[in-house]
Amino acid sequence: MTVESLLAPLFSAMGHLLPFGFAEPLFMKRAIVALLCVAPAAAAVGVPLVHFRMAFFSDAIGHSAFTGVAIGVLLGVHPLLTMVAFGLFVAWAITLVKGRTELSPDTVIGVFFSTVIALGIAVISAQKGLTRNLQAYLYGDLLAVSETELLWMAALLFGVAAYLFLAFNRIMLIGVHEGFAKSMGVPVRALEISFALVVALVVTTAIRAVGILLVTALLVVPAASARNIARGAVSAFWGAVAIAVASGLSGIAASYYLDTATGATVVLFAAAFFAVTAMLKGIFGG
Amino acid sequence: MTAPGHHHTLEIRNLSVRAGGTEILSGINADIRCGEVTALVGPNGAGKTTLLLAILGLVPYTGEIRFCRAAEHGEGAPRIGYVPQRLDFDRNTPMTVLDFFALSSQRYPVIFGHSARSRRSARESLTRVDADHLVSRPLGKLSGGELQRILLALALRDNPDILLLDEPVSGVDLSGEALFCDFLGKIHSETRFSLLLVSHDLSVVGRHADRVICLNRRIICQGATTEMLTPENLEAMYGSGAHLVSHGPAEEHGHLHGPPASGESEGKKG
Repeated sequence: MTVESLLAPLFSAMGHLLPFGFAEPLFMKRAIVALLCVAPAAAAVGVPLVHFRMAFFSDAIGHSAFTGVAIGVLLGVHPLLTMVAFGLFVAWAITLVKGRTELSPDTVIGVFFSTVIALGIAVISAQKGLTRNLQAYLYGDLLAVSETELLWMAALLFGVAAYLFLAFNRIMLIGVHEGFAKSMGVPVRALEISFALVVALVVTTAIRAVGILLVTALLVVPAASARNIARGAVSAFWGAVAIAVASGLSGIAASYYLDTATGATVVLFAAAFFAVTAMLKGIFGG
Repeated sequence: MTAPGHHHTLEIRNLSVRAGGTEILSGINADIRCGEVTALVGPNGAGKTTLLLAILGLVPYTGEIRFCRAAEHGEGAPRIGYVPQRLDFDRNTPMTVLDFFALSSQRYPVIFGHSARSRRSARESLTRVDADHLVSRPLGKLSGGELQRILLALALRDNPDILLLDEPVSGVDLSGEALFCDFLGKIHSETRFSLLLVSHDLSVVGRHADRVICLNRRIICQGATTEMLTPENLEAMYGSGAHLVSHGPAEEHGHLHGPPASGESEGKKG
């Protein structure tokens, strides 16, 4: 069974579910499915990420993609593979160093952040033809997503859901207090590393949709918006996922008619949700 | 229920902790006796929090920490309850007290709601510390004293063999402090877990502790409370100029005032 035949029934069903002009072309159908996989996964991971104050970490992983892509081109391997692998490596390295130094986490991340960017720029500047290739990674290229990538994104969504189902409670407990979580029998180090790796997987996958520059927004903005109005863990989580889906769909539709970059438009809609929820919080006192 | 002959719940042998090239704790030998309240006192930077973290297995150490479980408490590894000095979470975190309890009492994620069992267990634990009215309040909106009662309730929920309390009254107003100490005294007399209490407040130590361990990177002295809190020991621990002051004739609350702090603070990993 080919990838195309696997997705064909889904695309025809979408014709009935989304009977709008923007959802007609096949490349738009692919983009919508991609976004409906990536945006909720990113928002779901974003909830514990914001709780952990790890926005900067996700940004560092995003920027490591720069180097990951360059390494792929250098070695003649598919850049997507090296991008994910290098992102995982950087996530693991940051978590390891963070646990063994007295430096504050943002200092450690800052050092890694600049090192990976410098390495990426060095490699890219030595490879003349690479700059053109890189554009797609910087700004994202949702409309050119292949069907194999779609399956990878769907697998990511299921993987993230399964991981959070097993680990969400314990991860949130670590975010409240490490020692307290440990006294409750939570394997703190193992979960910290596994969460960092899941974040790295989500970030490097989401880069395909919104690009290196905006990928952190996909994780942080929906979670931050939901936080403005949520009273408990239930509404904070599902609020973030709903906002991610809503801004994904409205962003992709708007970008079709306005002819703007898809990733950026999606992030702008998410930012609008943030502004509205922040105002609601101001009015009703959160 | 206290066993005669003083079973040890915890035996610490030749424990040392190094971090960043400096020795934070060296050659610690101490015993925590079953069912007793042991106070850990010492100046800022003495390594009190670090010792608790070592017991919890959160900082690497050399030496040995042995947990000994009295036969009447059943088989298996001893349970450690821990109430940290302060929580380092974001005060805006959308998490209610019930969410917080459910995080450690139900298998499925709290984003799918709370199980009947975790609701019941949260209510029972909170009632124990007279805080059941806080169950649906956001965690970040609680006062220092309320938060400590929640943490105490949670630490006691699974009937720990040892309870570690880090500065239970810091950052809490006086009435909150008295309340906290009263609860602790009451609950301790009911269940007789071993309690290791870090405290700056020597009046709390004097009133509640059976034994005292005086720490300043090494053990200065340890023994029965009445014998340990002598001017000589206090001076050895805090330096000359240390003295007890009382906050008023009617009150028993005394605080130890040492010579000016060297600016060294006890960090989380410290």
